[in-house]
Amino acid sequence: MANRASGGQALMSLRGIRKSFGSSEVLHGVDLEVFAGSHTVIFGPSGSGKSTVLRTMNLLEEPTEGSVIFEGIEYGPGVSGTKPKRGKAIDLRRQVGMVFQQFNLFPHLSAIDNIALAVHSVTGKSKDEARERAAVELKKVGLIKWAMNFPGQLSGGQQQRVAIARALSLDPKLMLFDEPTSALDPELVGEVLAVMRQLAETGMTMVVVTHEMGFAKEVGDQCIFMEDGYIAASGGSDFFETCTNERARQFIGSVL
Amino acid sequence: MEDTPRLNFMWHLVWDFRWELLQGLLTAINVSITALFTSLIVGLTFAMMKMSRFAIVRGISTTYVNIFRGIPALVSVIWVYFGWSLLFGYNFTVYQAGVIALTLLYSAFFSEIFRSALEAIHKGQREAGFALGMTRIRIFRSVIMPQGLKIAIPNIGSMFIGMIKDTSTFTVIGLAELVYIMQNINSQYFQPFVLYTAAAGLYVAAAFVVDFIFRGIERGFSYPKQSAIKRFLTRKKRAQVQALVEANS
Repeated sequence: MANRASGGQALMSLRGIRKSFGSSEVLHGVDLEVFAGSHTVIFGPSGSGKSTVLRTMNLLEEPTEGSVIFEGIEYGPGVSGTKPKRGKAIDLRRQVGMVFQQFNLFPHLSAIDNIALAVHSVTGKSKDEARERAAVELKKVGLIKWAMNFPGQLSGGQQQRVAIARALSLDPKLMLFDEPTSALDPELVGEVLAVMRQLAETGMTMVVVTHEMGFAKEVGDQCIFMEDGYIAASGGSDFFETCTNERARQFIGSVL
Repeated sequence: MEDTPRLNFMWHLVWDFRWELLQGLLTAINVSITALFTSLIVGLTFAMMKMSRFAIVRGISTTYVNIFRGIPALVSVIWVYFGWSLLFGYNFTVYQAGVIALTLLYSAFFSEIFRSALEAIHKGQREAGFALGMTRIRIFRSVIMPQGLKIAIPNIGSMFIGMIKDTSTFTVIGLAELVYIMQNINSQYFQPFVLYTAAAGLYVAAAFVVDFIFRGIERGFSYPKQSAIKRFLTRKKRAQVQALVEANS
């Protein structure tokens, strides 16, 4: 884990995150640190709150209580008693990329325009410049030849790769993946994982919610097992061998 | 005239007064087109109000929509033309009164059309925009609206046909639209069957033309298959993308 040993400051910290939907609380106080260059994998049974944790990291879910601290700036309602420097959600989101289970590409725009719209509207680059940048990102995920295709004309795997390229086109410091392969046909999972593996090798800081235990084991250097709105167990890259939590071992055994 | 047989249909009247009738239809369409634009703007505003975070804003929109969807065009135009004059001493021209009356009614319908179209867009679209750091306005303009309009356009076309027909009630304020002109001719020749059938024929013809035009507009919003017009308008962009594809291949 990149900076933890040296005592460096985390790129992102979650402090005491609680989240309620109506009267039911789904996160009961989650603390988590993500260091620059690290690859955090979060797994656990459905309904354990892993996606909600991920979605609080870019404030798509506003925590009911607790703070998201990114590069020293605090977001969210905060922990009582602190008087921190408060940031706006949009500033956080511009530094954090996200990939969704359902891809969420814009269906009315071609692959290249999906990316160019993001670049143009967020960075203020001209539309021509934005398309140039988009072409570079499409090339990286191996889809430059599909630039003019619409999402409906692409396979699920291709769509997810465009979505990854779209997020990367804004030079994020942190990438969030919310079950990026769960909506894909089994034979298309590999191409998306390959792009993610490649991204991990370049040193991108990543937080990945996934059911792909093979991938988690291979890439994860911080492993988080969630259950019932808590982090039930966590560990480093050897988590899969050394974990002593009964429930986590059971879960890993049933999925692997 | 007493000897005229009862079933003497003077169809030639339609041809004799062709320019007058056409003029009447154009007046009807003119009022309707102006009212189409104003009611689209007002309707979109009320649709957005109905999706507001604030209950009072939503309430205002709901009340407006429910009242004005239920009012007949005839009442609406009498209010605007005579009522406004009586209450505030200001006289609208018949043209203005017609446009305002239609706008009041049809913005209520458009509000519902827009709302259902915008709500049909999957919430993941908005989330993707937020996650990228796009502003609310940008998400609305570049992500939600283009997809919503595609859904709304056929309904807007149907409503526009309804607007043209509703101008027929504006005879009461003396707007020289199709039915008003038919009535004038009728008072001279007493041929109501011939004249009103001809009027109906003209409205139906207008409906076909409107349908044709709106199909064209709908094609402009369709994807991935694009119309020739859209391909022509985007030719520069497509050339740039083509060059980028080749440069990066």
